[in-house]
Parts: sequence; C-alpha cells; structure tokens
Amino acid sequence: MKTALPLLALAGTMASPALAADRTLTISVYSFAQDEYREALYDPFEEICGCELVVETGNSVERMAKIEANAADPVIDMAVISTQDALSLARKGLIQPLDSAKLSNVAKLYDSAKDPIGGNMAVGYTYYASSIVYRPDLVEIGSWGDLLGADLAGQVALPNVTTTQGPLTLMMLGKAQGHEDDFAPVISSIGDHADDIVTFFSRSSELVQLMNQQEVIAAPVGRFAWASFKNAGLPFAWAEPAEGQAGGMNVMILTKGNGNEDLAYEFMDYWLSTEVQTRIGERLIDSPANREAVLSDEAAENLTYGAEVIEALNILPAAEVLDKREAWVSQWNAEVIR
Amino acid sequence: MFRNTREGLALALPAAIFSTLLFLVPVGILLSEAFRGSAGGWSVQGYIDFFSEPLNRTVFLRTLKLGLLVAGTAAVIGYAAAFCIVNLGPKTRGKVFGMVVLPLMISPVARTYAWIVILGRTGIVNEAITGLGLSDTPLRLLFTETAVFLGLLQLFLPLMIISLVSAMENIPRDVIPAARVLGASWIEVFFKVILPLTKEGLVIGGTLVFTGALTAYITPAILGGSKVLMLETLLYQRVNVSNDFVSASVIAMILIVMSFSANLLLKRIATARS
Repeated sequence: MKTALPLLALAGTMASPALAADRTLTISVYSFAQDEYREALYDPFEEICGCELVVETGNSVERMAKIEANAADPVIDMAVISTQDALSLARKGLIQPLDSAKLSNVAKLYDSAKDPIGGNMAVGYTYYASSIVYRPDLVEIGSWGDLLGADLAGQVALPNVTTTQGPLTLMMLGKAQGHEDDFAPVISSIGDHADDIVTFFSRSSELVQLMNQQEVIAAPVGRFAWASFKNAGLPFAWAEPAEGQAGGMNVMILTKGNGNEDLAYEFMDYWLSTEVQTRIGERLIDSPANREAVLSDEAAENLTYGAEVIEALNILPAAEVLDKREAWVSQWNAEVIR
Repeated sequence: MFRNTREGLALALPAAIFSTLLFLVPVGILLSEAFRGSAGGWSVQGYIDFFSEPLNRTVFLRTLKLGLLVAGTAAVIGYAAAFCIVNLGPKTRGKVFGMVVLPLMISPVARTYAWIVILGRTGIVNEAITGLGLSDTPLRLLFTETAVFLGLLQLFLPLMIISLVSAMENIPRDVIPAARVLGASWIEVFFKVILPLTKEGLVIGGTLVFTGALTAYITPAILGGSKVLMLETLLYQRVNVSNDFVSASVIAMILIVMSFSANLLLKRIATARS
C-alpha cells in the first residue's frame, strides 16, 4: 500500500498530459505579435477548452507550401492567410467549406467578411487599410499619383509587386491615372519613374527603417504598421488621398480532412467573438472584423475601425490578384526591375 | 608519418563523413533537382527557361561583374597591404595584422549596416558632399551597384590580405633586394618575382573573395535591395516569394558552377605562368 499510493500519483501525473494532448489544435498564423496573441487569444482559449494550441508561424509562402506538402495527411488544422492565398488553396482543393452553423459569431461580422472568397471557404477576421505614410514637414500628399510626382523623386519607395501591398498600390495609382481596370499602363508608368524610386520593399519593417533613416519620405503601407511610425521620433502622417484608401482582409480557413474540425470551429468562433475581437483591437494587434466590437478612441485611431472606414475601403478581388499576378510580375520584372 | 594507412584513414574519417553527409549529399540532391523535368525524367529546360528571361540574364551578368570587380580590386589592394605588412617589424606587424582580421570577428549584418550610416542621405559621405558645396542635394548612394561593391569589398578584403600575407612570408628575404640590385624596376619585381612566388596565395584569396561575393546574401539584400538583385537575392525571392524551387535549384547550381569554375580558372592561370 505504501508503494501503491506514490505509483498511483505518478500514474496520474503521467496521464494528465496524455489527456491534454488528446485535444490539440495546430494553427498556422502570421509571425507578427505572437507574444500579444498568446496573451489575448491563445492562453484564454487553452484555459476554456482544456486543450493545447500548437502555433506554427512563418511567411505566407512557407505556410502555404507546408499545407500543400501535407495535403494527404494535414499537419495544420486551421490557418489565417490573405484572401488571395485562401482562394489559391481553395482552387487546389486543399481547404474545406465552413459550416456557418458552427460559427455563431459570423453573423456579427461586417458583410464583406462573411464569405469573402465565395463558397463559404473562408471567413474574414481582420481588415487593414492601406494608404501613404509621409513626412508632412517635407512634402504634401493629396493623391496616390503624387508617389510618382517630381516632389518625391529620389525619396519615395514602393512595395514590390509580389507583396500584398504591391497590387493595392497599382490599383490606387490606376485610379489616380484613370486606368482602373488595367494595371499594364500603371506598371509602365512606374517603370518610367524607376530611377526616381529608392527601392521596392518586401516588408513594412524595411520601410520603417528606411523612413527613420530619412532615406525615404513617403511610401504606401498597411495600417497595421502605423504604430511603428507613430511612435518614431520623426513627424510622420497618414495620408488621406483623393482616391481614398486601399484595403484588404485576412481570413481563417480549415484544411481539408484534418479530422480536428470541432476544436477548430470552437477556436475560430472564439476568435471572432465580440469579447476577443475587442481585446485584440484594444491591444492594437489587429483591427476587428466583428462590427459589435467597440474600441476606445485611442485604439480606433490606430486601427482600421468602424463601418464607415471599412465600407469605404477599395478592396481588390482575390480572384483578380490570383488570375493576373503572373502577368503583373512578368511586366514588372521587364519594365521596373530590369 | 603513419605506421600504416589505416591510421591516416582513421584520422580523415570524421572530416570525410562530415563533408559527405552535410555537403556532398545535399549538393547531389540539389544537382539532381536542378535537372529534373516538369513531366519527370532529366531535362535542362529549367536552365533554358532561366536564361530566356531578360531579368535573369541581367542578374547573372551583374553577379559575375561584381564578383570579378570585387576579387580584382581586393587583389590590387591586398598585394599593397600584404607587402607593407610583411615588411613591418614583428610587433607592429602583429598589431596591423590583428586590425586586418578584426572585421572578420564582427557580424556581416553589423558591418553592412555601418555602410547605411556612411552612404545614407544623411550619412557621412553626403554630409561632406553637401557641406563642401559639391551638390545641393544629397546623392543617392544606397541601393546602387556602387554600394553593393563597397560592401562586398569591405566584407572579403581581409580574406585576400590574409592569403597574400601568408604567401609573401614564404618569399626568401633576399630575392626582392637581389632583383632590385640587378636593375629590375618595381613593376618588373612585382610581375617577375612577387607574383610568381605568391600565386598560390592569389589563387586561394581570389577563390575565397570571388565565391564569397557571389554567394553573399546579407550585403546585397541590405545595400542593393530589389533594385540591385544578385543571384543570391534572386534565389531568396524565388523561394520565399514565389515558392519556385525549380528556379531556385537552377540558381544554386549556377552559383556552384561559377565558384568551381573560378577556382579552376585561377589554378590554370597560376600553372600557366609557372
């Protein structure tokens, strides 16, 4: 009996992790703000579900490649990606339609987030506006067309066409130049001004550094990066161009045949809840897609927030990006990068 | 030296296993991927596709040009520096040699970022240019081939100097004075005495600098960005942006071939001279 009790206790401690491991959800997310996400989302969810979240991070290409490589036996249960990446995975048959009945909070989302790529294959969880960050003490920005103007020659950077911000910039430059449906003349005009553009960046963090070094005084950027500029020592401003702001949305998807759908739905619904969307917004991690999330003025000022802002965003359809990207990249390489 | 060949083999075995498992096998796999056709089987289509794109040809030629320029300039500066170092007294030589080696102990990222401070719009060079009235506005020095060239030269020059110092230390001390006494000019001394006697050092230094410049990623990425793409930064883009592993394998193969060719060429030149 003396030895039986400690053995039972030992068996108990060994059994607990095994039980927890029975409910494990593997998610694939963007690398940024993971400490903040851990506090605002992952830890509270793990407490509620009594399960373990395995969080995989990386850039979109790496994460998509992993989903594709493990299609037969999915390693990732649920992922958050851009709309065009979600559509790309949907076309390859790698994700499954979402059951709205299992996502009670979808009804609370802005309409454009409820079924952003069609076929209920994804649901939006955050929006981002995209405009021009600039130095108001050195230059005035009234239009997206100013990016290629003489005042900014030699002091402007543009996102590479292969990034999410790249096509959005082409769309808004197209609006300014009167080429709304065809990006070819827009790319040619960038090619004509290629020598005036300091560099074509791939990450907003690169741009933060370039603008702090005063190498660049204006560039298009997503609102999610605004906090990095706002807290810098230099006077940066967020432009309100005549053509408006571009915008986009990131979405949640479920991999096909992962066998862990119930827990994934539980997690997705929790993430979309008013409570969590408000908490994530207040901590300036991501802008809410839940229209019932009410943010403080300070948080709202830093994020893409409110029906008026979200409904006014110029969003580029995911299908258009996916169908035309190869032609854009080819023309960009020939005329811009050269 | 060894009592039998087994002892020698036993000593070489760990290095041989390490090189085989961690270098030859991965390179072999890479090599096979680079010749794999889209419909299976072997094919050189990946190379035809790669070189049919004007951007890829530009990047290939730029990489080759910068590699040769960096190696050539490093050789010129390296010979002058090495000649000075070997003719210094033992104490001073140690200190100067230490200064040459010191940059190799600093991270390439830190060394490259220092160039941003020097070449930026508000950097030392532009401050001097505008301060002296040579230009009204700061010049664009970053994200140019010049910036990448300077960054790569600074990064790899110590390797050339170290190789040449080692080679020059083996030149008998009375050879150069003898040539001078017999009426040879300094140019003749260099080409007929120093160069033939240090060719091994030049081959090693040249190979290290040229292959280093070809395969460097951080310096071209930071100082050149996407405006001055080199093969290594293009390879990164193909993997991380386009998920195009076929093109990436082709680029990797081209880099390997360029590195081996440079080494063979330098050895051939050195042999031909002797």
